[in-house]
Amino acid sequence: MTNDVIKEAVAKQQSGDRKLLADNTVLGKVMTFNIGEQVYGIEIQYVTEIIGVQRITKVPHVPNYIKGIINVRSKVVPVVDIRARFGKPEIPYNSRTCIITLSFNDTSVGIIVDSVADVEDIRTSDISATPENKGVNSNEFIQYMIRSGENTTKLILDVAKLLDEQEY
Amino acid sequence: MAKIEPGMESMLDMYFFETNSLLEQLDEILLRTEQANAFESEDIKEIFRIMHTIKGSSAMMGFDNLSVLAHKAEDMFFVIRENPDVITDVSFVYDLVFQVSDSYKAQIEAIQNNVGGEYEQTNFDELIDKLIKAKDKLSSEASGEAPAADNAASAASSSEKPANAAQEGKVTVRVFFEEGCQMENLRAFLLINTIRDDCSMLEYYPADVETNSESSKEIVDHGFLISFSNKDNTNHILKQIENALNVQSYEVISTGEAAEESAAAAPKAEIPPEPVQAAVKTEKPAPAPAKPAAPAAALTDSAVEKAQAAVAAVNQTNGSQKQSLISVNLAKLDALHDIVGEIITTESMVISNPDLEGLELESFSKAARDLKKLTAELQDTVMSIRMVPLAGVFQKMNRIVRDMRKKLNKDVDFVIEGEDTEVDKSIVDSLQDPLMHLVRNCMDHGIEENVQDRIDLGKPAKGTLKLSAQNSSGEVIITVSDDGAGIDPEKIMEKARRQGILTKPESEYTEKEIQNLILLPGFSTNEQVTEFSGRGVGMDVVKANVEKCNGTITVDSKKGKGTTFIIKIPLTLAIIDGMEITVGDIVFTVPISTIRESFKVETEQIVYDTGGNEMIMIRGVCYPILRLHEKFLIDTEVKSLEEGILLLVSSDNKDVCIFADRLIGEQQVVVKPFPKYLARYNIKGEGLSGCTIMGDGSISLIIDTNTLIG
Repeated sequence: MTNDVIKEAVAKQQSGDRKLLADNTVLGKVMTFNIGEQVYGIEIQYVTEIIGVQRITKVPHVPNYIKGIINVRSKVVPVVDIRARFGKPEIPYNSRTCIITLSFNDTSVGIIVDSVADVEDIRTSDISATPENKGVNSNEFIQYMIRSGENTTKLILDVAKLLDEQEY
Repeated sequence: MAKIEPGMESMLDMYFFETNSLLEQLDEILLRTEQANAFESEDIKEIFRIMHTIKGSSAMMGFDNLSVLAHKAEDMFFVIRENPDVITDVSFVYDLVFQVSDSYKAQIEAIQNNVGGEYEQTNFDELIDKLIKAKDKLSSEASGEAPAADNAASAASSSEKPANAAQEGKVTVRVFFEEGCQMENLRAFLLINTIRDDCSMLEYYPADVETNSESSKEIVDHGFLISFSNKDNTNHILKQIENALNVQSYEVISTGEAAEESAAAAPKAEIPPEPVQAAVKTEKPAPAPAKPAAPAAALTDSAVEKAQAAVAAVNQTNGSQKQSLISVNLAKLDALHDIVGEIITTESMVISNPDLEGLELESFSKAARDLKKLTAELQDTVMSIRMVPLAGVFQKMNRIVRDMRKKLNKDVDFVIEGEDTEVDKSIVDSLQDPLMHLVRNCMDHGIEENVQDRIDLGKPAKGTLKLSAQNSSGEVIITVSDDGAGIDPEKIMEKARRQGILTKPESEYTEKEIQNLILLPGFSTNEQVTEFSGRGVGMDVVKANVEKCNGTITVDSKKGKGTTFIIKIPLTLAIIDGMEITVGDIVFTVPISTIRESFKVETEQIVYDTGGNEMIMIRGVCYPILRLHEKFLIDTEVKSLEEGILLLVSSDNKDVCIFADRLIGEQQVVVKPFPKYLARYNIKGEGLSGCTIMGDGSISLIIDTNTLIG
């Protein structure tokens, strides 16, 4: 399982194993997308497809970040606005706005993102654990980070948490 | 612990299906015959055949303990089959066979839950022991009354063994001489001489008692075996044996058939030393009625056995009736069902395609109409495939009542009505547990413990428990009712007070509301927890289970008269006729079955109550108005009642006018559940039952009037 491999790598990074910095092994792939200036990523095995924004049917009695349900080839899929979920200001949807449908443990959810960026490799050397900073709302959904280049960090989302959160 | 042999997994499903249906068949026969209190020879043969088939397939699958168990049960029924009159203690036999059937089910369930893994191999020794004892007892009784039984036995078996008919009436006896009396061989010889004149046929083992003194040892160790036949007076000979000099004891090991078969197989010597084996031997070379199955003969033993059983079954039932049933994997049916749903959606997409708007298409409309008719037919057929009669579930209740009747010692008539009512397979599965709970409750709490209590109330001493099902306007109504003590509202109230589950002042509870309190979690009024009920889980589980298939359950009870539970379940879960309405930019679907009328309204017709709530008077009845846009917090421009439309809809309890912007039209829709992700939010409790995909691909929300109004 890719997942376990990555978890292990994150744990090692956390323990400060310097050797890993030179380890160039590809552990998997992430799909990256933008929310404002920040780049986020989702491990590719959770991504089902990417579709443009279509008509969303609102559903009553749900939190505001659940925008409603859409019809994806005869399947009814709920959509979550990532901006709203992370407590960022919402912006009107435009032609670059996308819905990424994810599936995890039989649960399908679409997430609305500003735009989709790329698909890239996850390398052991690039991985780093998230700082222990529980105060930030969006942080609880970040599994780990990937550094690329000098100053960019990509935040990799914890799909399990995002989809399976227990909230009543 | 044991493991399923690799390579057998693929056959497991078939084995489970076959064995389970055989066991159900067995239960059914037992229950039916137990009521009549007598085994018909057809039934005995059928039970024998079932045990035989189960034995064969269990052995093939490598479930040795199961195979042995079936084998012993089969042995017992072999004796019964040959001597139908032998059963003196009928209920004893029933209890034993029910035990076998239950142990079987438990073991199979254990295996089923652990396919591919290890499972606990239950030890059936005790039960097997009981079976052997029962069999021995029966067979000794059988030979005891052999002259009487023989005729019946020959009648039962004559069709199978015409060739041996002439040798009927042979009895095999094992004789033991007194310990230390010496020269057993000569004493045996004397015994033979004593009875020889009275027998038409006589064989014995060891055969050389007269000449070989070595045979004494054999007689001391294993007894002296005599098999004789005497059409007229077996008892007379047995008496002679009993009274002969130095005879300590004797036992009759078999009558007629068994001994005669073995004698025929080994005329001189080998009379088998064990009664059980004798029975086995006779059954093995059973003349194959499997001529039609001859090509199958090359297959394994058990396959042949099965073929025989199948042929026998066909012969036994209605002669030439052909097999017209097939078993299909439920997953395939589900897939088919889904596809039909998609087809209906797609059909709407094509027929009400926006591109066609404003076009005059005569031929297209005609073709579309035909298509609609066919898809409707297709849908009906697919739905009907999934429909199964409730008989299976009801039959199981029969079994529960039987067991409880015995254990609780309550005399109860169990009446079943409408068991041929058909419902969707998924409903049948989820109904079994709730019904079981209800039946148990009625038996345990409902019917009075003390018969005198019943008589004092002017009711017949024997209680009645009724289980009935009927179809009524798109719903199946299942009722479980008893004529027992009924629900005492005061007891319920008191208990509810203690449990702290009351939500409003006591005086405000109506009798009906009080009765329905028993459906709440953690409620059980029976002071004593019994084996069957009283743990306080149950009624709320029943309710939850029924609600899972979109059904409702209500209680109706009169103290002293009895209790009735009414379960209502919609017949077709998946496809409904709906009316599309819009509120703001959301489209709702209202099931047509709940709509009574729709109309425009003038301001003058609106009346207000003291709280300022809007109501409307229609034909003298006042209905509250429920604005959907307020209920679901939707932005809409249509806020004045005059601009929009009112629909009078009904729910179980009351009728309400709902206010929407606009009617769109009628459409048949496929109900889809809300996605799993949304399950944590209380959407279903607030007036929506699901959603559906409409012709243009957009989604509409389906309104559930019961939760909307409630």
